[in-house]
Amino acid sequence: MSEHKIFGQDIYWANFIGLMVLTAIEVVAVGSEFSKAMTLFILVGIAIPKFIMIAAIFMHLWGDKDSKILTLTALFPTFFIIVMVLFIGLTHPEATTGLPEWCRPGYYKL
Amino acid sequence: MSGDYHGDDDHEHQSAWGPHDWSHGAPHNSWAPIIMSIGIGIFLYTVASAYSWGEMVDPASIPLIFLGLMISFFGMIIWWRQDASFDGIYEPRATGTPFQNIQIRKVAMWMFLMSEMMVFTSLFSTYMRYRLGLTPCVEIYESGSWIVNSQTIDSGEAVNCFLPASELIASSWFHIAPGAINTFALIISSFTIVQALRWAKKPVGSVDEEVRRKRVYRYLGSTWILAIIFLTLKMVEWFVGFYIPEIEFLGLHEHDIVSLVNEGYTIHADHYHPHHGWEDTHLAELAAANPSEFEEYFANIASIEGGYVTTDAVMMADIRVSTSTFFVTTGTHGAHVFIGIIGLTYMTWKAWTGGYTPQNAVSIEYFGLYWHFVDLIWVLVFPFFYLY
Repeated sequence: MSEHKIFGQDIYWANFIGLMVLTAIEVVAVGSEFSKAMTLFILVGIAIPKFIMIAAIFMHLWGDKDSKILTLTALFPTFFIIVMVLFIGLTHPEATTGLPEWCRPGYYKL
Repeated sequence: MSGDYHGDDDHEHQSAWGPHDWSHGAPHNSWAPIIMSIGIGIFLYTVASAYSWGEMVDPASIPLIFLGLMISFFGMIIWWRQDASFDGIYEPRATGTPFQNIQIRKVAMWMFLMSEMMVFTSLFSTYMRYRLGLTPCVEIYESGSWIVNSQTIDSGEAVNCFLPASELIASSWFHIAPGAINTFALIISSFTIVQALRWAKKPVGSVDEEVRRKRVYRYLGSTWILAIIFLTLKMVEWFVGFYIPEIEFLGLHEHDIVSLVNEGYTIHADHYHPHHGWEDTHLAELAAANPSEFEEYFANIASIEGGYVTTDAVMMADIRVSTSTFFVTTGTHGAHVFIGIIGLTYMTWKAWTGGYTPQNAVSIEYFGLYWHFVDLIWVLVFPFFYLY
């Protein structure tokens, strides 16, 4: 891995610079006067490549001889993540209001 | 990266505590995981039995809680003793599919990280559910419905709404600063730990050993410092806040940046007030159009000027779900950073003594996987909990 180059630069150095730049864009985007939807779009658009850059290069899921099987291992919980995010995080709109009272926000009995 | 400096499996690995024969890829015959599981099981069960809604209901469980902890600790000692003679040079490899010939510890680390991923996924999906399912507090505030429904701090029931931490944190550059600096700190620390690994792995003879020692401990030490900075800034952001002095040529006015807790963003919060420059125009229009419904509101109005209303009325709001999801998620991440600091403290000391060689550099690699994972999670936490 460490012998790889990106644009003629050491791969770790190039990855590091890329991550710093993307983070700077992220912060500036929030400070700018974009709409909520546009801000979310930019943040998601930047978080995904950052996530991949760290996993692929810093965590060596790309370019090593055992990268393939370890990448598959890393993808193993994908099903669980999809279930959690899609069916709990993004759907089932009654989750916060339609559940039994003891399970809803506001019921603390403290 | 991997597989260059590891011993073979035909190796007797002696242990003072029970069978420990690694020959021909034999499994790690240890009772330690089972003992620890039993201890943790007893601990969790008795803790759950002892408390109900924050109150102790079964004091008799207390000795059992400690018993569970002691059994877990005992299991850890056994585990540690079995591997105490393990100097990190010998690296057992998996013999079965699908991980054949890959270091067992590396596979185990990935398995561990994936279970961690599931933990954080649960926290993220909870956050998403509540963020999307509850009406934002600012929306309710601007609608004025809390006045009509008498949901003020003096007279009524609380509005159940969502107050994202970003409403406070992303309200100014200074408020964002600790989180932003932390983001850069974690990225830099990911880079420094990769460099520590790179220097530790340089083949013997290709680099002076003293240079190797210095480079490795400096890079690991830098990672340690960055991790300390991360937690320190988190404490500043949560509890302390900071002071901005008057700097004329930068146009800065003297003021305090208040911490989240001092802003009222706590799990005990019972009211909501809009933050940082929010203008009460919409509510003013509503109030002017429906004066009878806004009687209480008008009673609390301090002034009406240029179409803006200033009021002393306070919206009673239950924001505990918002604050809980924020503090639990970022706190869980912070706990991982803290655990990383403990590991880094030992590793930096070991590097200082010249303990890392190409033969045992995989220890840095495995810790690095954990540390990059912590960075990875922050890549998601920062934009969605701090910025959006």
